[in-house]
Amino acid sequence: MRVDLTDSLSSILPGEAFGYSVPSSLSAALRTDVETIVAPGSVEEVAILLQWASDQGVGVVPIGTGEHTYPRYPRDPFIVLTASRLNEIQHYEPADLTMTAGAGVSIRDLATQMAIHGQWLPFDPPDVRNRTLGGLVATGLSGPLWAGYGQLRNHVLGATIVCGNGQILRLGGKVVKNVAGFDILKPMVGSRGELSIITSATVRIFPLPAVDRLLVLEATDISELVPTARAVATAPIMPASVTLSATSNGSRLLVRLHGAQVSVDSDQKSLEKHTSVSFEVRDTPEDQSLMLEEIDVGINTELAVRVWALPSQIDVLLDVLKRVPGVSLNADVYGGSVRAYLPEHLSDIESSLKGLQKDIEELGGSIRALRIPAEVNVPTYFTKPLVDEGELASGLKRAFDPQSVLWGIG
Amino acid sequence: MTRPLPSTVVSDLAEIVGHEHVITDPERLLVYESDGLTAYRRPPRAVVLPSSTEEISAVVELLHSNSIEVIPRGAGTGLSGGALTTPEGVIVGTARMNRILKIDVENRIAIAQPGVINARLTKATNPYGLYYAPDPSSQSTCTLGGNVAENSGGPHCLKYGVTARYVTGLTVVLAGGRIVKLGGVGRDPYSTLDLVGLFVGSEGCFGIATEIEIRLLPITEGVRTLLGIFESVESAGRAVTKIMASGLMPAAVEIVDGPTIEAVEASVFAAGYPLEAGAALVIEFDGTEAGLDLDADRAEKCCLEEGAIEVQRATDPEHRVKLWRARKKAFGAMGRIAPDLLVQDATVPRTRLPEVLAGIDDIGNRYGLKIANVFHAGDGNLHPNILFDRQNQNELELVELASKEIMQLCVDAGGTITGEHGVGVDKRKYMTLVHGPAELEAMAAAKRVFDPASLFNPGKVLPDAEGEPSTESDKILAMGE
Repeated sequence: MRVDLTDSLSSILPGEAFGYSVPSSLSAALRTDVETIVAPGSVEEVAILLQWASDQGVGVVPIGTGEHTYPRYPRDPFIVLTASRLNEIQHYEPADLTMTAGAGVSIRDLATQMAIHGQWLPFDPPDVRNRTLGGLVATGLSGPLWAGYGQLRNHVLGATIVCGNGQILRLGGKVVKNVAGFDILKPMVGSRGELSIITSATVRIFPLPAVDRLLVLEATDISELVPTARAVATAPIMPASVTLSATSNGSRLLVRLHGAQVSVDSDQKSLEKHTSVSFEVRDTPEDQSLMLEEIDVGINTELAVRVWALPSQIDVLLDVLKRVPGVSLNADVYGGSVRAYLPEHLSDIESSLKGLQKDIEELGGSIRALRIPAEVNVPTYFTKPLVDEGELASGLKRAFDPQSVLWGIG
Repeated sequence: MTRPLPSTVVSDLAEIVGHEHVITDPERLLVYESDGLTAYRRPPRAVVLPSSTEEISAVVELLHSNSIEVIPRGAGTGLSGGALTTPEGVIVGTARMNRILKIDVENRIAIAQPGVINARLTKATNPYGLYYAPDPSSQSTCTLGGNVAENSGGPHCLKYGVTARYVTGLTVVLAGGRIVKLGGVGRDPYSTLDLVGLFVGSEGCFGIATEIEIRLLPITEGVRTLLGIFESVESAGRAVTKIMASGLMPAAVEIVDGPTIEAVEASVFAAGYPLEAGAALVIEFDGTEAGLDLDADRAEKCCLEEGAIEVQRATDPEHRVKLWRARKKAFGAMGRIAPDLLVQDATVPRTRLPEVLAGIDDIGNRYGLKIANVFHAGDGNLHPNILFDRQNQNELELVELASKEIMQLCVDAGGTITGEHGVGVDKRKYMTLVHGPAELEAMAAAKRVFDPASLFNPGKVLPDAEGEPSTESDKILAMGE
């Protein structure tokens, strides 16, 4: 059923909430056309909207930019809620290294503000600058830099959220250490809008490193680089991130070292001694961004999966994935996870994915779809959570979204 | 008077864990009447000491099927009364669950039972060049299970983060004895909600962690420790703000104030701090050896710019221990000044430290109470210690009033009521200072998902009447960190 709910919504939200365009890739992710998109301008408007949705039995799909939305089937009928108007930096105290901003503020804008004070948010999932703060928190994605800085979930200090029934909750705070009560903020981070809608978040930020050095090692086949990558990941010094990539331009090991000049020089020497290789050095931001962006060259492909196994199994994981002809790979070596961008012309997608799922699950690993063509039945290819985890997650879903208007776990 | 357990339950428990591991003798139960916060005391009906996940599961199943409340307990070093029993409760202790099950060097993870002492994990992993980062002050006695329950911090959490950052997976026993696995390295962390993150810090109210998967870090190459001596705690506080805003990332930044220095220098722990000092600032950097002197130089400059009288730098490991001594031995030394002390644990935004410290000083003066401050300044985590004599009833009441004013002061400055000690039974009365009814109900809803009948550690964390000490005479104010 396709319904334009704008008329009904216009009696509860101001005119500014309407007229937003639907992001180009959103309909593909949702497998249906988007008829109604609204942009509430405050937490109160989000609450009114969700109360309305609960009363009317209308699904709500929250988006940041809408360009990185996971494939999912929304409830029917549904509306899309964009955070575009929740776009204010509410509080920034550089000396406290904390920032509170609306869910719709882009990471690019936050980065610009923070750079003025020599600070940054050290998370680097693919295309991070084109994500929003709300999107980042809702997906819980840290990128390979988590190795040096910790996961994003540990640096979200507080958030204002709206539960499925319109209840506003102010969770956590603005301080870096806080154990005042059960940490219900943690399951909100990474819940992809299934439990609540994040309208603003407070995050811990970090001083920009004096030197950000990229060490590069190239090879024709990614497997040649794996022993060095593992040696780096088990070395006595801990780089900020270790990434392996394979694209049509060849394979690369990328190691980022952060710190003062003398520390970075020393770390590089230690790593070269430990691994018995000489790395090519990229110190200028221009050189680096070229390399770092290239590993996500497949970001816009229609068929992409992400897989996980123990970090020590990364060699086997890559062996399994590179059997797919034309695949591009981007591996977080510390995390034991790989993004695989698959060619869209892949013959018999369903059986290819089933084969991958079987091989990866036999390793004890997991696989999930990041993007997938509309005709493929998505949930089949997710490694399911353990039964007990699923039951507990469903219990939380019932507690925070009793009418199940937000997405629906699945 | 605590009601004894029915004899059939005692014998069934003995069948599961062995007769010698079920304690019902009233004298032996006195050991378990409080945790590190001795303000709250009540002996449990019994203490059970299982040795495996399966035994814990069977014990919980038995107790819950008899509607008997389960109070989990690690080493009992907690400072919020989190391990205090309810009148009807049975303590399930993890003292016998003390094995490190796995050290996976390749993947830098360890799996440990909850009764493993925090420092033992680091000792066991050091030969592989690895260690466990969170280092609560009680790390030589506190357990990993207790750390998980409290989401414990420690001085070096400024750089490395608290327990939650290092717990990657859990096996837990939930209501009715159900054994559940949560998370784990190698699995898709996005396949479900962050249940591990929710369980960590749930203060024994959701269930008992019986196996803990922990991320380890490589041992750092070098360390530099500095001691800055200041005329006032406010100027030391300003130095902290300056250091943190300068882009430096110290591993630890701790303040010891004048009254504490006085106490330490008068004790067997004397560290040679000048008695006229208003505050001492301990700053530590760790990491790649080559950059450490530069970091230390920059921090020293910040201290001097904020009026430090002198800045010392450790020249060898013994000297480092000496510089840390006043911080580490402060609580023991305070016994010389007053027979009792109440430790508070609030966090404020770092930039508000100078004004909050001045406010605490003012509260102490108004109530005529001596307050000594020893705290994790780098992350704004204050530990004001109110010194008093519990025999003086009038002073006891003043301590309560001053304590509440300090909490309000910290909350008004944008802070919170506990940074690392947990809410337990003690800070429930302050929960409404930081949370509204909707937030408290949301926390209660999360507990119900794990523990629908509220049979795990009831009367903790959430501010209801359950589990309060039955009379004021149960409550004797606390001693120790």
